[in-house]
Amino acid sequence: MDRKASMISRFILIAFLGLSSATLCAQTPWEVPADRNIKLSQTEFADQNRNTGKDLYMTNCKSCHGEPGKNNAIRLVPQPPDPATVQLQQNSDGALQFKISEGRGPMPSFKNILSSADIWNIIAFVRSYNKDYKQQIAVRPTFGGEVFDKVSIQLSQEQGKTSVVAMVTGERGGLKKPLAGLEVKLFVRCYFGNLIVDKPIDTDANGKVNFNVPNNLPGDPTGKVALFAQLSNEELFGLVKTEAVMTIGIPTSKPPLNEPRALWNVVQKTPLWLLFTYIICVLAVWGLIFVVLFKLKTIFELGKAVRVDD
Amino acid sequence: MASEVNTSFLKDRRLDRIATDILRPVGVDRGFYIWMASLGTLLLVCLYAYFIQLDKGLIVTGLRDYVSWGMYISNFVFFVATSLVGMLISSVLGMMGYKWIKPIGRIAEIIAVAFSAVAGLVIVSDMGRPERLPYVFMYGRIQSPILWDVTVVTTYMTLSILLYILTMIPDMAISRGRIGHAPTWLQKTYEFLSFNFKHTPEQYKILLKAVRILLILIVPTAFAIHTVTSWLFAVTTRPGWDSTIFGPYFLSGAFVAGSAAVIILMFFVRNNYKLNRYITLEHFDKMGKLLFLVSIVYFYFNLNEYLVPAYKMKTFEARHLTELFVGEFAFMFWSVQLLGLIIPMILLLFKPMRKPMPMLLIAIVVLIASWFKRLLIVVPTMESPFLPKQHVPDAWMVYHPTIVETAITIGTITLAVMIISVLMKLFPVIPIWEVAEEESAHPDQQPVE
Repeated sequence: MDRKASMISRFILIAFLGLSSATLCAQTPWEVPADRNIKLSQTEFADQNRNTGKDLYMTNCKSCHGEPGKNNAIRLVPQPPDPATVQLQQNSDGALQFKISEGRGPMPSFKNILSSADIWNIIAFVRSYNKDYKQQIAVRPTFGGEVFDKVSIQLSQEQGKTSVVAMVTGERGGLKKPLAGLEVKLFVRCYFGNLIVDKPIDTDANGKVNFNVPNNLPGDPTGKVALFAQLSNEELFGLVKTEAVMTIGIPTSKPPLNEPRALWNVVQKTPLWLLFTYIICVLAVWGLIFVVLFKLKTIFELGKAVRVDD
Repeated sequence: MASEVNTSFLKDRRLDRIATDILRPVGVDRGFYIWMASLGTLLLVCLYAYFIQLDKGLIVTGLRDYVSWGMYISNFVFFVATSLVGMLISSVLGMMGYKWIKPIGRIAEIIAVAFSAVAGLVIVSDMGRPERLPYVFMYGRIQSPILWDVTVVTTYMTLSILLYILTMIPDMAISRGRIGHAPTWLQKTYEFLSFNFKHTPEQYKILLKAVRILLILIVPTAFAIHTVTSWLFAVTTRPGWDSTIFGPYFLSGAFVAGSAAVIILMFFVRNNYKLNRYITLEHFDKMGKLLFLVSIVYFYFNLNEYLVPAYKMKTFEARHLTELFVGEFAFMFWSVQLLGLIIPMILLLFKPMRKPMPMLLIAIVVLIASWFKRLLIVVPTMESPFLPKQHVPDAWMVYHPTIVETAITIGTITLAVMIISVLMKLFPVIPIWEVAEEESAHPDQQPVE
């Protein structure tokens, strides 16, 4: 059989098997809670948003959804929709925001990877493929009628080393006030993405949250861990985020993989057994080659002294 | 090779006859000029193809992201493989005391020199930026089999050239005054290459010692050259390459290709140089048996290499093996296995098939098949990567060698044939002194022409 045809037929078979097993998953519609469905962006989508959104889309979304309008999404079941299609564009802004944030099945959740503002930037970019789209802008909600110049989080470490305290304060006219009832999340920075610590907790009457840090959290060689805390609700005050480095982890000293002598390392870090084997073999063989060349020279010298008629 | 030479053969009048016979074809004649001019023209055309590749880059070849090792690397493996026969005949059989290899030892050496010298160039043909070749030595990693390969190919080539030159020294001395028909420059070359050899017992003693060192040294080096070449594949986890027997599998295959090449040249020497007194029917019979021996060893390794994974049919191996057995490569695979291995093996069992003419035909088919066998080792594995091939142009999916690529490959083969032609035409192709010594020691034996 022709190779391409056989590939296609194999593909159809796989797709068919995949479909039948994934039918259940594909049949249930993706329910968006009513309050999330009507959610809107607080800012008007501008070119700047769309450009940032494009960069973010290309990094985080393209590998499955493909380039918008080019119909080159990865073939999966269920099929990740091309953002330029009606299937995707018929979602409300709030529904898109919900689906990107929460994820379902093979679609990952991005709420701990991208900020709320960045998710809106991606929506801004995606909407640029919809000519009929008219953006509605949300009215910025207020925090019990109060307005602040600045809202901030302070991170501090409890004595026993097992918990981290986050305190949320609002500042207006030089006066600081603890803010109660705001959900705060604490994260640890890892090599790949961020790791949430404990769970999201609301601030108490003193504007404080107490996060329990697991006692087996690996830190750097001195036990330091890079943390950051942020308010879950970005609509009230925008992105409120604080970073801190604290000595709350277990001192972990794992040398980087490029530190020891190893097969995968640079030539200066060749394993010694290999270095010596190579050098000894090369020297031995080439040494003997020079012995042979020396013998050749001896033959030549001996011949000078002799006069024989052949 | 004996540890001492009985120099009495120099006084034997048989030496004159042997030297005259063997030196008769030496020199340049019209036929040689025409032959070399044709090869030279072909080489120029192929060099033009290489110029195109140098100018435009490897995009002019069929090599793409998936198949980045195509015809060039297969060709490299073929060249390295064929060159190993020098070790098999001169060192292994020679040191075991087989006298019959004496007249054909130099033919094997010529193949070793030509093929190992061109093997290095074949690698360069696979480089998009050949001017970066020194980087291998400047920045190469000792951990990488690529560096080991460069080291052993260079070493094996040096050893082969030395062995060729050293075993020819007495012949160069014998030829003094016997090659009046050759051009002066060739006579001067002979004078130079004789290294003042005057056939004194002391010179023979030193020479034999030096040759013995080379013969011993060349065995591990030859094993290393082809084992390392096989490791270039076997140290990966890819289906078809991820094998522990790749070293011996390559070595045994190398002896098949090399023996076939020796048989082809033996036929040429016997018929065109009229040296059938020296390369006799017995030699063809023995070489036929040798080819059978190395083929059956290679068959055994093939059986292991394909049957064991085919019994298990692990996911990725299965895809690769299906392509070979019944898929895209099935025709090539079964042709190579049947025509290049199984049928020759059966034929060689019968004595009439070990006569020169049938042997020549068998050897040609075996040699061609062994070239394609290397392509079958390299390309199908590269065409079955672990991750699915998607979102790439169709041309990347399947490897189609281009004309430029094919021309460059033909160019390397042409170059090897040119080196062989020069060595065979300008220098004695049969060791005069060894044959004379042998005949002098056993004057009663009459060769079966």
